[in-house]
Amino acid sequence: MKKITNRMVKKRLALALLLFLTGIVILSGRMFIVQFISHDTLLKKALSSWSRELPMEAERGLIYDRNGEPIVTNKLAPSLFIIPRQIEDRKAAAEMLAEVLEMPLEKAVEFVERKGSMEKLHPEGRKLSFEQVRQIEKAELKGIYIADDFERQYPNGRSLAHVLGFIGVDNQGLSGLELMHDKMLNGEKGAIELYTDAKGRDMEDMSANYNQPEKGNDLYLTIDQDIQSILERELTNAQIQYEPDQMLAVAMNPKTGEILGMASRPDFHPLTYQDANPDIYNRILPVWSTYEPGSTFKIITLAAALEEGKVDLENEQFYDSGSVEIAGTHLHCWKREGHGQQTFLEVVQNSCNPGFIELGNRLGKEKLFEYIHNFGFGDKTGVDLQGEASGILFSLDNVGPLELATTAFGQGVSVTPIQQITAVSAAINGGHLPTPHIAKKWVNGDTGEVIKEIEPEIKRQVISEETSKKVREALETVVAQGTGRGAYVENYRVGGKTGTAQKVKDGRYMDDSYIVSFIGFAPSDDPELIVYIAIDHPKNTVQFGGVVAAPIVGNILEDGLRTLGVEPRKTQVEKSVRWLDPVTYKVPDLIGVTTKELKDMLLPLKLEVEGTGPKVIEQSPKANVTVNEGTTVRVMMGGGE
Amino acid sequence: MDRWLVALVCSCVVFGIVMIDSASSVWALDRFGDAHFFSKRQAIFAVAGIFLMLFLANYNYWQWKKYAWFVYGGGILLLILVLIPGVGLVRNGSQSWLGVGPLSLQPSEFAKIGVLLLLAKNLEESRHPVTHFRKGMAPHLFLLLIPFGIVMLQPDLGTGTVILGTGLALLFLAGAPYRFFAGLIFLGIAGFAALIISAPYRLQRIVSYLDPWEDPLGAGFQMIQSLYAIGPGALFGFGLGESRQKYFYLPEPQNDFIFAIVGEELGFFGGVLLLLMFSAIVWRGIIIALHAPDQFGQLLAGGIVLMIGIQVMINVAVVIGLIPVTGITLPFMSYGGSSLVLVLLSCGILLNISKNKKTL
Repeated sequence: MKKITNRMVKKRLALALLLFLTGIVILSGRMFIVQFISHDTLLKKALSSWSRELPMEAERGLIYDRNGEPIVTNKLAPSLFIIPRQIEDRKAAAEMLAEVLEMPLEKAVEFVERKGSMEKLHPEGRKLSFEQVRQIEKAELKGIYIADDFERQYPNGRSLAHVLGFIGVDNQGLSGLELMHDKMLNGEKGAIELYTDAKGRDMEDMSANYNQPEKGNDLYLTIDQDIQSILERELTNAQIQYEPDQMLAVAMNPKTGEILGMASRPDFHPLTYQDANPDIYNRILPVWSTYEPGSTFKIITLAAALEEGKVDLENEQFYDSGSVEIAGTHLHCWKREGHGQQTFLEVVQNSCNPGFIELGNRLGKEKLFEYIHNFGFGDKTGVDLQGEASGILFSLDNVGPLELATTAFGQGVSVTPIQQITAVSAAINGGHLPTPHIAKKWVNGDTGEVIKEIEPEIKRQVISEETSKKVREALETVVAQGTGRGAYVENYRVGGKTGTAQKVKDGRYMDDSYIVSFIGFAPSDDPELIVYIAIDHPKNTVQFGGVVAAPIVGNILEDGLRTLGVEPRKTQVEKSVRWLDPVTYKVPDLIGVTTKELKDMLLPLKLEVEGTGPKVIEQSPKANVTVNEGTTVRVMMGGGE
Repeated sequence: MDRWLVALVCSCVVFGIVMIDSASSVWALDRFGDAHFFSKRQAIFAVAGIFLMLFLANYNYWQWKKYAWFVYGGGILLLILVLIPGVGLVRNGSQSWLGVGPLSLQPSEFAKIGVLLLLAKNLEESRHPVTHFRKGMAPHLFLLLIPFGIVMLQPDLGTGTVILGTGLALLFLAGAPYRFFAGLIFLGIAGFAALIISAPYRLQRIVSYLDPWEDPLGAGFQMIQSLYAIGPGALFGFGLGESRQKYFYLPEPQNDFIFAIVGEELGFFGGVLLLLMFSAIVWRGIIIALHAPDQFGQLLAGGIVLMIGIQVMINVAVVIGLIPVTGITLPFMSYGGSSLVLVLLSCGILLNISKNKKTL
């Protein structure tokens, strides 16, 4: 008997054919999925697997000043890439590269022998010069590619370096505005896609694909490059004259909070930042440093007292005996013998400490500290710069009579320069506390279309228009007739206030080290420009704000106002010598006077200090010789043990 | 004689040579300095194979019964020989080649024919129905598992699968009960489960093996490169000779992955056309089997055509990413003398069966 029936085999044959055809349908379906539905994703992946990307760096956004003057620009500085597989004559390539890139032949040989699909050479093959590129291209060697890259250019050199910051070799912002606005400034990288086979050789039948890089956005600052140059010039001069430890200068539009200039010393060049100490390039001193403001802080006490109606400057009298006892401590006026009988306006002009203690007492600690906070102290100003500090104030619970007294004349508080210039701006601009800022607008680097405009911002009104006017007028007399005479500018109605603060180290006042400062503005009827300068430990001079800092601010205001096109005024408070000094001055006996006393004397003379030592051992001219105000007196220091 | 089959087979072979010429040109130029190195050799094998096919078309198929044991035994012998170190050549990780100098052959290809001939003969002559497991099924399974086991030792999972599949297909045609196949599937799942339970990390391996993107430079490399060829091909492909993946991206594109190049250069259209040609060949083969004068002829014709069909299924499924890479050639198309000559030889037997067809 047949064990297998033919019928069965035929049935199974038909079934097998059916199964096979079903399989074919499934396979076709899968092919449909792969070739149509997954087509785009697979093609994209395949294209990237076929191509080697020759990266084209995007041009970083430029930085301009408020008038469109370039501050940071770019220069084409291409990079070298090789596809080692494509190099036909390795020896020739290595020799050419060694010569053009000025490197040892061994290194060039190692480079061309590399195994990667696309290799770059750091640092020799980066940021090439035009001449190098020309030579490499002239050699016409296969497998060697030149890709776009850029290098920052600083037409003004070191100017504004701290604020601008710098970028790294991969065009990434590393500090300053470059870091803060890295995303906006950075463009979109592009690439040339070179199609190669899996071994890296050129696929001749496929043309390269160029993805154009997109330029970053351009940044316009509130900086006025002319004013910035004036600041830099004045700091450089002061550097030579006084050899201070540090220095800073800020110029601002007092009405809007727009920073017009910002400079500090020591400085650095953004292209060679590695040569500088990181503390130098990482700190924007005008926003980072905090110290006792000294007498410039008295402006706040004055404004508060005027606003609260606690004082009548013209008609109220105050007697300064030279010191005042507060809670068992004698607080001295900077002028040991005291200013005697004076009006409160003279108190301001003389920067008389006991007078301001009186104003502080009249206000009381709650009111005084309320104003201090309102003027923005103790909080960051919110300036768009990195590393801003907030300063330190007494907490109200810890304020006793002594703390109230010292705060009133600017001791025992710690503030930043940007806080001071902003607060004084509010005191003189009609009482509006602005938010200082430095970024003005963003512009699309390709189209020129404005992306974002930063509008000036007023935080709050801290005093009335009327009070502000009184403060301006009082400060104008300080310059015309008081301690700020060094800042006087003919026809420009300068107002201002000196400041001298002892430096603190390890919680104690340093003996011989002061930060001298001056804050000045003009014209005082309608302030357009406010300038703050602080000089840390000037040498070869008495360390006094009125002597060292005021003339610098005067210079800056004079040139700055002219630059801004501010009309000279017809009337102003005449420069006067009525209160303090005769035009001529009898040289006092300085022999045996200590450095500190010398400073406190606030001589209307220029001092030239020679030698080292605690006491004056020689002076010229001699005592009791009558000289004109401002005459240079040379003193020789010496003595000691 | 089935002229349709001759025409289809010859078209496939010519198509194969054209595709090999395109797929291997970059590789051949780089390796041998001659872009047509592989296609020329394939053409020579094709001519020889077609002559052999036409010759065997005139050789009465029932004569093979006499040589069935001989071919089977010879195949086993060669399979053992290939495993001896120093005798067998290792290619692509499998010790599955015998050869001297430029000539080499794959014994496993011969073993396939041996299994076909012997099982067809034994099934016809068996006194017990295949429904009887111990007497009607076990002896055939035993003969099937010997060459399968040896091939798996090489290891050559692909050819092993084809040998096993072809043998099981013959048992299927001979009427093996469905529960037998159900049992096989159950056995497979159980063994699989046991492996995973004994070592759970294997599941992860299997999962990553099934998903080529998990390991794009390792296990998944060939599959991904294959998809990079087919996917971009879309409806009509890049055009003949325009493959990009053949530029060393897809390893040995003239071999197991030639279908990927078809998909890349000729698109969905070309791929489906080729699948239709294979369907037509299988269809003609089944017709021939249905009309075979005796059961040996029926089983042999069915076995040959299903062997071709199984290879097509597995090869294409691998290339388009349905199953893991196994290493099976695409009949008539892939480069390789042994594979081409053996499949043409099988077609020769098929043609002779068609010549002797029973008039219904």
